[in-house]
Amino acid sequence: MTSLASGSVSIPQRRRSGLGFRDRRRFFLIALAVPAVAYIVLIALYPLVQGIWYSFFDYRLLKNGGRMTFIGLDNYVQLFTDNTGRRAIINTFVFTIGAVFFEFVLGLGLALLLWRDGRFNRICLAFLLIPVTITPLVVGLIFRALLAVDYGYIGYYLAEWGITSPRGLFAGTATALPTLIFIDIWEWTPLVALILLAGLKSLPGDILEAALADGATSWQRFKLVILPLLLPTVFLALVLRMMDAFRVFDSIFVTTGGGPADATTSLMVYGVKQGLQFFNIGYASAISNVTILCIGLMAAAFTLMIRRADVKANEQ
Amino acid sequence: MSSAASTLPASALPAVRRRRQTALQRRIMIERIALVAIILVYMIPVVWLVATAYKPPKDMFSSPPSFVFTPTLHNFQRVFEVFDVWSLLKSSIIISLGSAALSLLLGVPAGYALARSQSRYAIWVAYFFLAIRTVPIIATLIPFYLMMRDIGLLGTWWAVILINTTLNCAFVTWMMFSYFRSLPRDMEEAALTDGCTQWGAFIRVALPTVVPGIIASTLFCVMFSWNDFLVAMFLTNLDSKPLSVALLAAFGTKDITWGTLGALAHFSTVPIMLMALFMNRYFVQGLTKGVH
Amino acid sequence: MIKTSAKRLGLAALASLALASTALAADKPYAGLTLNLASQNDQFAAVIAKLAPQFEEKTGATVKVDILDYGSLLTKTQADFVGHTKNYDLITMDIVWAGQYADNGYTVDLTDWIKRDAAELQLDDIYPATIKYIGQYNGKQVAFPFAGYAAVMAYRKDLLDAAGIKVPETAEDFVAAAIKLTDPSKKIYGFVANGQKGAAVAQDWLQYNAQLGGSILSADGKPTLNSDANVASLKVYKELFDKAAPPGAVDYDWGGREESFRQGLVAMMETWSVGAPGYYDPNMSKIVDSVAITYTPVGKGLPVKYGLGGWGMGINADIDDKQKEASWAFIKWLTSPEVQKEFNMEGAGSYIRKSTLADPDLNKKYPFLPVIAKSFENADGDYRPRIPQYPEMQDLLGTAVNAVLVGGTDPKAALDEAQEKAAQLF
Repeated sequence: MTSLASGSVSIPQRRRSGLGFRDRRRFFLIALAVPAVAYIVLIALYPLVQGIWYSFFDYRLLKNGGRMTFIGLDNYVQLFTDNTGRRAIINTFVFTIGAVFFEFVLGLGLALLLWRDGRFNRICLAFLLIPVTITPLVVGLIFRALLAVDYGYIGYYLAEWGITSPRGLFAGTATALPTLIFIDIWEWTPLVALILLAGLKSLPGDILEAALADGATSWQRFKLVILPLLLPTVFLALVLRMMDAFRVFDSIFVTTGGGPADATTSLMVYGVKQGLQFFNIGYASAISNVTILCIGLMAAAFTLMIRRADVKANEQ
Repeated sequence: MSSAASTLPASALPAVRRRRQTALQRRIMIERIALVAIILVYMIPVVWLVATAYKPPKDMFSSPPSFVFTPTLHNFQRVFEVFDVWSLLKSSIIISLGSAALSLLLGVPAGYALARSQSRYAIWVAYFFLAIRTVPIIATLIPFYLMMRDIGLLGTWWAVILINTTLNCAFVTWMMFSYFRSLPRDMEEAALTDGCTQWGAFIRVALPTVVPGIIASTLFCVMFSWNDFLVAMFLTNLDSKPLSVALLAAFGTKDITWGTLGALAHFSTVPIMLMALFMNRYFVQGLTKGVH
Repeated sequence: MIKTSAKRLGLAALASLALASTALAADKPYAGLTLNLASQNDQFAAVIAKLAPQFEEKTGATVKVDILDYGSLLTKTQADFVGHTKNYDLITMDIVWAGQYADNGYTVDLTDWIKRDAAELQLDDIYPATIKYIGQYNGKQVAFPFAGYAAVMAYRKDLLDAAGIKVPETAEDFVAAAIKLTDPSKKIYGFVANGQKGAAVAQDWLQYNAQLGGSILSADGKPTLNSDANVASLKVYKELFDKAAPPGAVDYDWGGREESFRQGLVAMMETWSVGAPGYYDPNMSKIVDSVAITYTPVGKGLPVKYGLGGWGMGINADIDDKQKEASWAFIKWLTSPEVQKEFNMEGAGSYIRKSTLADPDLNKKYPFLPVIAKSFENADGDYRPRIPQYPEMQDLLGTAVNAVLVGGTDPKAALDEAQEKAAQLF
């Protein structure tokens, strides 16, 4: 429709300069976008498609001289019937939902605390950025040390005072995953707060003042005015964190290695073990495809919500 | 303010204002105390990481944990004995800046194009870019490894830069798309009608308005590449490996060496922390428009 | 005039330089070569890096040591082999990787070279068990041993004396003593071993399993993870963790285990000999005066055998001949008696030679060497089967045994499930 319309408009112009302004503009914009698209297709999409192909094969680099045998959907069936595989899927969802939920609630609280502009708050913000910058691997190791029951500054006293089991948080099948969720919350809440703060700061001042003038209580003002306007930012923060939380690897890898038993095995931990330790390429590809599918579904749901919220905000 | 005041008799005004002001002050006070408390909780692990680098090995593991120790530089000595710290640091810097530069080079124009495009598919292309960032790295790592072998880049910084750039460039494109979209197009259109070239309108008119967004994107890219360990571990060799990869070896498998980890973490964390501290104002500014 | 003489002088200098360089080449056959060595981050790694310049001085080849953690080492070297990327020339090989290496031909078969250079290597001086287990598989020698570790028992004289307990010589006595020595109110525990999921718990349990008469392979090479003997030994292992180990032990890997012993929490620990120097080092250890090292206990009625582990050096099969030659020269240099002595004086804790273990200087520094020597003479390096399927079996056991230790899972059920998955690997 649009292309037809623009085509008919530019006919007289084309006679004069060869190409009409709108066409030239369009070619220019396409030319700007092509390198990035080509790059992604070449370097990300090509291996991805290869990964989908591999997932239908029994393909182990360390066995049978790396021969590929077609096995249909067996790799996927194995993932969903294998105890570890099922556990990994459940753990990943629990981890993602738990971590993102608390990061959002706490991050929003933190963003509201920091909203007031001033030197003091800016300094606080700078301090809160520190955890975001520490390598996730190191963050995992820090907490492993702090929570150790023999010599950890936190773990020792938690066990000594009977708050946790004497074996410590990482050793309990019920406590290990929540502990890892806590670590994730510790590291990423400030980032969520930062994104939400940026959203808060971009809110139009006149609307807020109008709400104040109407005599709305703080809670009403927050619920009826701020939150709806903040929705697009909220969803961005949620989507970004969801994508990364779903691929959690580093912190688990250096603390529990997926244990005790399979209590903290995530899809990525399982996939990396199958792919980069046993070089079981077919199965690892299936695991990562399921991961992509899960993220895709969750992201699609979020995206639709962003679009809706976006449309709503534009109408106002 | 005015509506509340108008319902009260004029004589009560100063008292109300004073009361409201003290209430506000009290509230700010409470907010600040809360913030300081949160920051203190947040600093415990960071302080531990720093302190542990100066702790003698014997005190590291005392049970119950000891709070007093004589600081030593032994751990730093050890780190320099085992690792070529400057080479690691150099690799980290090259990989993260290289990937950030390449991502910006590809992502900023693409973001601009998508934001200014009239096509209704543009938004879907933008979401496609966002989706690419979700790809778990194991899916692409082994095919990519063989690809790098075939073109002779395996073990070089380029291999890591190229693969990090896929995720980073996708993210930059998406973020700059949002940023450009939030800005009016009047100026560029005016420039174009004034006879400015397409290129000129992009470089000289549009780009200067998105500098905070570019800085925020750079920070994100640098942080992502700097902290990534799995990809770099797989693709680099002794001469090209960055700090993040050495950290795990510093920690050790059979001998836990928190001290050397802490010492090496000084080098891996301090530069990026300083960068974030100095740039945090741009970070918020850049995000403010890039988040819609 | 001056100009020409200067020219002549320059020419003469050039000629002498050329002469010198040919002399150098004869002297240093591998001048200009670089050998990349992928090394596990064990005690020997830093020592190899420290001594490598001596090899360069002698032969001209630069050796670059890439120190990696166990997981990265495995991943990177495997990727190097299957991708034929020639990143590494020399690779430190864990004893248990031999089957996989031999089956896939990752490294050069050293059999003929060893035969050829037997005199130079002084083969009689090297413990046959180290050569046999560290690198020999199906008639191939896929790596040459340079770091043999003996399974030994470290214990606290003071605690055993106070409790009036004799140093246990059988596995059964060990269990009884461990439980008796434990007193949580004083923070003294009788025993410690790895409990952490993965290679850590699998390897330690396999050691106790062997001492208690279990085995994960049948005589004809089929997996028997859930045999009665294995289930029984796993029950004992769990009992030890419940009644005699520090509470944190279910989460220990090698580092945590060693540390708990050095910090004085533990009375007895079976461990690798490589950690022993650390117990005597006052910078690290609080038990310098009370520690002693002895043989690991043996199951009642079982043949006297002591666990053998350690690292061999393999040469990447993909590299060209000159690199291979230089790599072999490096291995010969590293395992020569003189270098082995210096290597261990620097604290590598890695032994393969009779002469090194008998060396008076080393014995003065490390009083426990005779224990290692006797262990090497009765060594068993196959209690962890070195078959190609071992890494996956170890992973299955690592999850199963850990699941039992943290509670909740019945030993028989856990091993049944692991057996079912292991059977698919064969």
